[in-house]
Amino acid sequence: MRVSYCTDLDKSVVVANCEKRGWVQVGPEEDWNIYWAGTQTCRSLFSVDSGYRMNDNQLINHFPNHYEISRKDLLVKNIKRYRRDLEKEGNIMAERGDSKYLHLDFIPVTFVLPADYNMFVEEYRKSPQSTWIMKPCGRSQGSGIFLINKLSKLKRWSRESKTPFQQQLNKESYVISKYIDNPLLIGGKKFDLRLYVLVTSFRPLKAYQFKLGFCRFCTVKYDSSVAELDNMYVHLTNVSVQKHGGEYNSLHGGKLSVQNLRLYLEGTRGKKVTETLFDQISWLIIHCLKAIAPVIATDRHCFECYGYDIIIDNKLKPWLIEVNASPSLTSTTANDRILKHKLLDNIFNIVVPPSGMPDVRWNKIPSSEALGDFELLIDEDLVNASENGENSSARNNSKWK
Amino acid sequence: MEELKDKNIHQTTIKICEDLKNSSQYKSLFEDIQKLVATPSVKIEDFKSTLLKCMQENGLEAELKNNIYRWVKMKRKESSSYDSFFRKSQIHWDKRIHKSLNSMCSELGISLAKLRGNSEKEELLNKWNELSNFETDIHKYRPVYAPKDFLEVLLNLKGPKRDKSKCDNQRWEFAQLPLRVKNLSELRNLYLEISRGEQILNSNTMLSTNQNFVQLEAERILLGEKILMKNYAPLAQEYLKKGCPKCLRARIWALLLGAEIKSYQISYFDFLKQNVLQYDLMIDKLIIKDINLTASNDDQYFVFEDVLYQVMLCFSRDSEILKYLPNQPAFMQVAFKGKPNTPENTIVFPPSGVIPFHGFTMYAAPFCYLFNNSVELYFVFRAFYLRYWHRLHRVCASSQGIVSLCLQFERLLQCYEPNLWNHFKKCRIYPLRVVIKWIMRAFSGHLPPEQLLTLWDIILAYDSLEIIPLLAVVIVIFRKENLMKVNTLANVEAVLADLSSIAVVPLLQMALMKEEG
Repeated sequence: MRVSYCTDLDKSVVVANCEKRGWVQVGPEEDWNIYWAGTQTCRSLFSVDSGYRMNDNQLINHFPNHYEISRKDLLVKNIKRYRRDLEKEGNIMAERGDSKYLHLDFIPVTFVLPADYNMFVEEYRKSPQSTWIMKPCGRSQGSGIFLINKLSKLKRWSRESKTPFQQQLNKESYVISKYIDNPLLIGGKKFDLRLYVLVTSFRPLKAYQFKLGFCRFCTVKYDSSVAELDNMYVHLTNVSVQKHGGEYNSLHGGKLSVQNLRLYLEGTRGKKVTETLFDQISWLIIHCLKAIAPVIATDRHCFECYGYDIIIDNKLKPWLIEVNASPSLTSTTANDRILKHKLLDNIFNIVVPPSGMPDVRWNKIPSSEALGDFELLIDEDLVNASENGENSSARNNSKWK
Repeated sequence: MEELKDKNIHQTTIKICEDLKNSSQYKSLFEDIQKLVATPSVKIEDFKSTLLKCMQENGLEAELKNNIYRWVKMKRKESSSYDSFFRKSQIHWDKRIHKSLNSMCSELGISLAKLRGNSEKEELLNKWNELSNFETDIHKYRPVYAPKDFLEVLLNLKGPKRDKSKCDNQRWEFAQLPLRVKNLSELRNLYLEISRGEQILNSNTMLSTNQNFVQLEAERILLGEKILMKNYAPLAQEYLKKGCPKCLRARIWALLLGAEIKSYQISYFDFLKQNVLQYDLMIDKLIIKDINLTASNDDQYFVFEDVLYQVMLCFSRDSEILKYLPNQPAFMQVAFKGKPNTPENTIVFPPSGVIPFHGFTMYAAPFCYLFNNSVELYFVFRAFYLRYWHRLHRVCASSQGIVSLCLQFERLLQCYEPNLWNHFKKCRIYPLRVVIKWIMRAFSGHLPPEQLLTLWDIILAYDSLEIIPLLAVVIVIFRKENLMKVNTLANVEAVLADLSSIAVVPLLQMALMKEEG
């Protein structure tokens, strides 16, 4: 049995993992079993014009329309729709109190600009002191982001975009979100969490959370004062931003492991609040996936690993900032390399059936040994099985149903 | 006989009372008791018994007992006939350190101590919470010594009884030193709960069965809370033997060590801070340098860098450390630059008497995982230093001192893995050269924080540092197979470089539970 793989990304962590398994590298035109592809390659492969038809022994690392979760505007749209739908059903999860969703309030208030401009202004007027953050929908790694604290600043920005460049700029829509201005600080510094989630199927939903995430720290002390509003080293945690700061340390890369975050929180804040925080994080990941499940073009050949970016506020409430469908596999430090190597290894262990040969006819229920550092978040097959009264040892926590 | 015993107790009581009256806790304790006396429940007719009853009910009896318990721990002193020999060696070493400080100063053209200028003082005050932004040029400063240098000093100890004829042998072992260290069966007796294989809460329990861990942790938390309510230090020590939940560790440690924060501690810490602002000591640069070289580059501790600057700088100003250290280090008297050499213008340099070596910061860094507040962190760290850490970088005869710990490592390895020992000997690799940094830093910076705190639980639980060389030996033996394959010091270091996968409790259980064969 020969397993062949193909990749169009020059990532040593991908190649090393495939070689370790004795898989043979082949070109995209050849007969591959696993394709670790960039999103662009994947999209063109699935496009109608390509005429490519995958066989049962082929797997690819993206869903055709992953942008439903990775584009900032679509993610927000999908989550808003999900909440409305639940509300219509009268589902208690969509319960509201004080106009806010009680259980599904995990993204900051967000609008798409220019489309939702009027709705934004209405919301802005409710609390004119708040700071808002503008992000271009289609870009990543912190580019094009800025903070505003006055409506006039936004108006100026929008006037400026109506210059002759209008055509070009108008293509780019933005999301504007209420800025989390009370982030949890450790050692006086702001950070966000990068967590990895593997989805092997959306309908039924099968998702796994990687235990080994990390916190990305800003190099500069947090300061919410207006004077520092334009200092992105204070506000943005993206490594690609922080790398250019004078204080960047390449030995630790500003990264603290999630296990150490947990140790710190339990040690200084207590067990109960820490557990609640991590439960809430799993909760938001699941509901975010459920929100996009109906619109994802589900395909048995696909699996996808998402990079979740989460900010924790000083009341230990987690906020979903965005989801990346092709999280960076570049390693900035030695520990980073170890983590990403494990991540890839564990992903392959889960998506490849016990026989060792990719096979879409497999029921996609990996053994608990195969999970490695992944933990089962949800498997609707197992949930349904246990609901049907079968004596299944589903490890699903009932509260995720 | 009975009479003699009574007399003895009587004298100890007097000594305890005297020391208690001089301690920093005394004032608040006395005030609390005075308040009690003023309440109606203490009756003048039956003063003694009503007061005792009242103290019991208000937790002051526990407080008093805790003070006595800690006093006993502090005073516990073993004397050895070789004390004076080791003491001389330490004084000699102190002098070398001082000489090297002085020559560094003259090389760099700076003075050991001077008053800080107003503008610098103000900058320091403004940046007190972000000292990593305090600009100071430290690139020319070098750590005064590293664990490896200290090992050289230890290996040079000739031993009071050393036979001249054997001296030609290469300096390789500690075996010539006439110190008595515990063998494995004695260690099994000391660490009884571990040897018996009793269930000990630790993060690796999780691997076996999740359900068990959750239940065990819940039980431990319940018990721990009860002990904290009782506020009784000896119970806290006993409690740690079966493992401590992460969420209670800070409070249990503070109770055990008597490092609770009251108004005295807050104002004392502020006093130390003022002293840092007031005086510019050369040692400040060494401290900043050490944090720069260690915690700032460490992915477990870099976020806490600013807290560590505060704590380590204040530590250097704490003259109580010099006062409480059981064998006082030699210290310098230094006059401030540009001031006449009068008593008002001289200070003990540094006030704590402690000159940091490369990695000294790591004695404090792990506490950042337990305390948000630098004052709380400071006093627990200081208590640890006064009880344990000072013995790890000073020459002494104590069974808890670095010399005995090194010897213990050597004996255990020789005894239980003679093949490995001979392999090292054949390749002329001295294993202590690799593990001395583990021992001197009590594994801090080498084990991941969670495992490290578990190890430090065991130090407190059995009130002994002997667990450190034991763990060092176990790790070396655990990696025996790979060590037998290499024959250079660099490769041995490589095999032992990464301890991120080490699980402290299971490894120790493996070593201590094994039937002697």
